Amino acid sequence: MNTSSNALRLIHAGALQRVMETCLDLYTRMNPNLKSELKGVGSREGAKRLLSGEHYDVIALADQALFAELLVPDLVENYFIFAADQIVIGYTGFSKGSNEITPDNWIDMLLQSQVRFSHSNHHLDPCGYRALMVWQLAEKFYQRPDLSTEMEAACFPYETYPKSLNLASDLLKGKVDYAFLYSSQAKQLELPYITLPSKINLSNPAYANYYDQAAVSVESKIPGKNIIIHGKPIEFAIGKSRNSHLSEHAQSFIDLLTGPEGDSILEEYGLIPC
Amino acid sequence: MLSKPICTLIIAEVYTMSEDLLSKLDPMISMERTIQAELLLLLGQKPSHGYELIQRLNDSDFKSGEADTATVYRNLRRMDKDGLIQSHWEIGEAGPGRRLYELTPLGKQSLDLWSQFLTLQKTKLQKFLQAYKQYEDSLAKGENEVNKS
Repeated sequence: MNTSSNALRLIHAGALQRVMETCLDLYTRMNPNLKSELKGVGSREGAKRLLSGEHYDVIALADQALFAELLVPDLVENYFIFAADQIVIGYTGFSKGSNEITPDNWIDMLLQSQVRFSHSNHHLDPCGYRALMVWQLAEKFYQRPDLSTEMEAACFPYETYPKSLNLASDLLKGKVDYAFLYSSQAKQLELPYITLPSKINLSNPAYANYYDQAAVSVESKIPGKNIIIHGKPIEFAIGKSRNSHLSEHAQSFIDLLTGPEGDSILEEYGLIPC
Repeated sequence: MLSKPICTLIIAEVYTMSEDLLSKLDPMISMERTIQAELLLLLGQKPSHGYELIQRLNDSDFKSGEADTATVYRNLRRMDKDGLIQSHWEIGEAGPGRRLYELTPLGKQSLDLWSQFLTLQKTKLQKFLQAYKQYEDSLAKGENEVNKS
């Protein structure tokens, strides 16, 4: 990658790393003289980088709501929802209890004292606050009072995981036994995973009102102040910066990702093109 | 709904539809695939994006089961590819851009075909239930005759 100022600069959710790399590889093959630069971050962090004045041409985030909350209309004019996903519990063959965990006993398995599980930092990464929402919804769905509090108390420290990809990396290294990740990440890493009921995994628009009951406090764009965000079906979105130096390339890249070739790439990496 | 060659064959003959032709389709159509008929009907009622379609499908009285996101989008892509529906990106005034799907003339013909197929299925099920009732009645009658003797 070249970091010169005339490069097409793209910032994206860490969970989209392989998708973005593959799309950019395809795009630069069609435009061999184009220089480019990819940056993977937690999506909340990514949106805040733009707010703080960092320049990017294309912004692809794991939560479409971040565009409305932080970027539109000042920094981005339009944004497009291009993929959906769900939260799952990823693990490895070395995870404690990996031979016993099932969709019916995952709560009790994770709450065993010797088991380490975690989520990514919810102040920086949508996968992190979505994990917390899943716990709140599980409390209602399974009628387990205080489950969410219990899970938060038992959770392995999340602060070291600015994006879910870092958490997945620690899962592979055996530092944690279980990780709340996107289904697409578990598929890409060929991890075994527990699928959660659609009423709690944030996958289905039919349960949008049910998901809305979950609420998590995260740092807002005003330093020192938090805002409450509510549960929604998981949707990824992409937009072009108003200040793009390479506006045509930025738009063409977005057209590629949201077109038939992009759909195939998304499917290949376990996301649902939408 | 149907694999493309069969779909094309059927659509070509849609105006001369015979019971014999529809009966040939019978084993090829699984209940999982009826989701395509449901989506075609919803899109016939009004163009929608996937998010809204999933909500409308789950609110409908004719859904086959819980419509999960992956299944709906997979079927929308397949029908788009087969020319039964078409899509374009619609930019929201304040909200996000979403892919909007609408029914094509071929999709309307396919929906008509589905309607005829389901009518035949309904008739078949009614006949089955009628035969079952006669069978139940005959069993009850047999028991009564045994009791009398």
